[in-house]
Amino acid sequence: MEMIIAGLMDSISINSLMFLLLGVTIGVMIGAIPGINGPMAIALFIPITYYMTPLAAIGFLVGLNKGAFFGGAVSAVLLRTPGTPEAAATSWDGYPLTQQGKGEKALRMALYSSVAGDFISTVVLILIAAPLAAVALFMGPSEIFALISLALTVIAGIGTTSISRGLMAAGFGILLGLIGTEPVTALPRLTFDVYQFGSGLSLIPVAIGLLAFSEILLQLEKLVGKGAGEHAATKFSSKLEDRLLSFKEFFANIKTLLRGSLIGIGVGAMPGLGAPVASFMSYDQAMKRSKHKEEFGKGRLEGIAASESANSSVVASSLIPLFVLGIPGNLAAAMLMGAFMIHGMQPGPLLFKENAQLMYGIYGSLILASLFLLLIGRFGLRFFCKAVNIPALILYPIVIFTCIMGAYLGKSSMFDVGIMLAFGFIGYFMRKFDYSYVAFLIGFILAPEWERALQQVVIISEHDTFMFFQRPVAMGLMVLTLFVIARTFWTSINAGRKRRVEAAAAAAGQHKAD
Amino acid sequence: MIAYLLIIVFSIVLFTWAIPTYTPAYPGYGASPALVPNVAVGVMLFMAILSMVTVAISLFTKKTLPKEESEFSEDLEDGDGFTQVGRVNLYHLARIMIPCVLLVVAIEYIGYMLASFAFLMVLQYFIGSRKWLQSILVSITLTAVLYIIMRYGFGVPVPGPQIFE
Repeated sequence: MEMIIAGLMDSISINSLMFLLLGVTIGVMIGAIPGINGPMAIALFIPITYYMTPLAAIGFLVGLNKGAFFGGAVSAVLLRTPGTPEAAATSWDGYPLTQQGKGEKALRMALYSSVAGDFISTVVLILIAAPLAAVALFMGPSEIFALISLALTVIAGIGTTSISRGLMAAGFGILLGLIGTEPVTALPRLTFDVYQFGSGLSLIPVAIGLLAFSEILLQLEKLVGKGAGEHAATKFSSKLEDRLLSFKEFFANIKTLLRGSLIGIGVGAMPGLGAPVASFMSYDQAMKRSKHKEEFGKGRLEGIAASESANSSVVASSLIPLFVLGIPGNLAAAMLMGAFMIHGMQPGPLLFKENAQLMYGIYGSLILASLFLLLIGRFGLRFFCKAVNIPALILYPIVIFTCIMGAYLGKSSMFDVGIMLAFGFIGYFMRKFDYSYVAFLIGFILAPEWERALQQVVIISEHDTFMFFQRPVAMGLMVLTLFVIARTFWTSINAGRKRRVEAAAAAAGQHKAD
Repeated sequence: MIAYLLIIVFSIVLFTWAIPTYTPAYPGYGASPALVPNVAVGVMLFMAILSMVTVAISLFTKKTLPKEESEFSEDLEDGDGFTQVGRVNLYHLARIMIPCVLLVVAIEYIGYMLASFAFLMVLQYFIGSRKWLQSILVSITLTAVLYIIMRYGFGVPVPGPQIFE
C-alpha cells in the first residue's frame, strides 16, 4: 500500500506532470501532421529522455504516444489524410462531416472516444497486469526463450505481406542485436574491430533511422517536385449545433464506444496485431450492428466513435504483454521497452517486484495522461487543426535535422549519427521492398534477452538435448511456434493454389465464350 | 530474384567469414557464442533460398501471378524478388543522403553553426524550396533553437570545433 501511495505521489510531482503534459501536447501536434506517427515520435524524442527521471521519461513517452493516437484523427478528419494508419477508418466518416462544415463536431467525437477508450484500457491494464506478472514470475529461462521465439514468429508477419520476408528481417534484426559483448565469454563479437561497436549498436540511432529518417525519405520522394505539402485551410461552420457535440449525440454512441474499447483491449493485448486491426474490426462491427448501415462512410458519428475508441484503447493494452512478459506487442511498445532499458530497467514480471513504486507511478501517469488528453484536446482543438497545414517544405528539413541531432544527443557522438543515416538507408529499402522493419526492430531489441535465456537453459540443463521437453509450458510454446510457422505457410500456399485454380477456370470460361 | 540472391550471398559471407572471424571461441560451457548468430543467418538463408526457388519455379512454368496472390509470388513480372511499394529513386536518395553525410563530416571541421546552416539551406533547396527568405529564416531558427536546447537545456557539448566561442 505504501508503494502504491508513494508511486502515485511521484506521478503528481511537478516534474512528472510537466513532462506528461508536454508529451501529450507534442504528441497531439505531431500526430496531427500527416506521415508522423506515435512510434516515430517516440524514436525522435527518446534521446531527450536521457535527461529525465525514469518516471518523467516513461510518462513523457506514454503521453506522446497517447497524444499522437488522437492527433492522427485530426488530419484524418480534416484532410482525409490519416496522420497515423490506425486513423484511416476515422477519415471515412470524419471527412464527410468536415465537408458538411461539421469538422469540429467530428473532432470532438474523436477526442471523447479516444479518451474514453484509452481510460477504459488503462483501468484494465492496471487491474490485470500485476496479477498476471505474479503468475509470469514462475516462468524460467526455458519458457522465456520459447515465448520470445513465439513472439518473434508472430511479429514476423507485421508490416509485410510476406512472412518469409518478415522472418528474414527478424533474422537480420537478431543478428545486429547480437553485435557487442558476448554474455558468456564477455569478449567482443561481430564488432569488426570497430571499438564503438563494443557496447553494441545503440537503439536510439537505429530506431530513429528506421522509423523516422527512412519514412521522411519516402515521403519526400512522393512530394518533391509535385508542389505538394500545402493544404487548403479547413473551414468550420459557425453554427453551434454543427460545432458542438451534445450529450445526446455522445450517449447515442456509447454502446459502440464500449464495444470498440473492448475490441481494442483484446487486440492490443495480443502481440502482433496492433491499432489499425482494432480500428478496422471495431468499425466493421459497428457497421454490421447499426440500424443505419447505409449512413456509414457518409459522415456518421458512430463510425468515428468505433474507430477512435478501438485504436486508442490499444495504447494501454499493448503494455500488458510488455509489463507481464517483457515482450513488446507492437512498435510503440518496442520503443517504450527501449526507453525502459535506457533507464536501466528490464520490462517483464520482475519490474513489479524490483520497481514497484515506479510502476505505480507509471499507472498514475497513464491515468493523468488520459485526463490531460481530454483537457488539451478540448481547449487546443483549433490550434492543433493548424498543425495539419504546416507546409512540407518547412516541416521535413526540420524533422531530418531533428533526426540527426537526436541521434547525436544520446552519446554526444557523430558515430551514432552515421549509424542513424545507415539505418535510414536500410529502412528506406526495407520499406520499398516490403521487408518488415517492425520485425527487424523487435528482433533487434529482443535478441540479447533471447540469447541470455538460451545460455541459461543450456548451462542449467548441462547440455541436455531434451532441455525444452522437460518443461511442459516451454514445450507447448515451442510446439505453438512451429504450428504458427507451418500454418502461415500452409495458408498462403493454399490461398495461392486456390486463386490459380480460379484464374484457370475463369480463363477457360472466357476461352469457351470466345 | 536478384534481391534473394544478394541475401543468399550476404548470408554465406556471414557464415563462412564474418561469424567465424569475429566471434569468440567456445569457452567450454554454455552454448557456443556463434550459435545464435548462426541461427539468425540460417533463417535468412533458408527463407531466401525458399523464396528464390519458388519464384524461379513460377518463372520457369510461366505462371505469372498477381503480386498479392501468394506468399512467394513477389514481382514475377520483373523477377527481382521484391514486392516493391515503388521504384527506388536513387537520384532522390542521393539528394538527401549526400548532404547528410557531408554534414557529419563538415561539422567536425567548420563547427555546428556553419555546417548546420549550410546543410539546412542545401536541403531545402534540394527538396524544392525556392523562397530564399523562408529558407534562411528556417535554417537560422532551427540551428539556434537546437543549439540552445543542446547546450543550455541538456548541457550536451555541440559537435565539432566551436568557432564562435
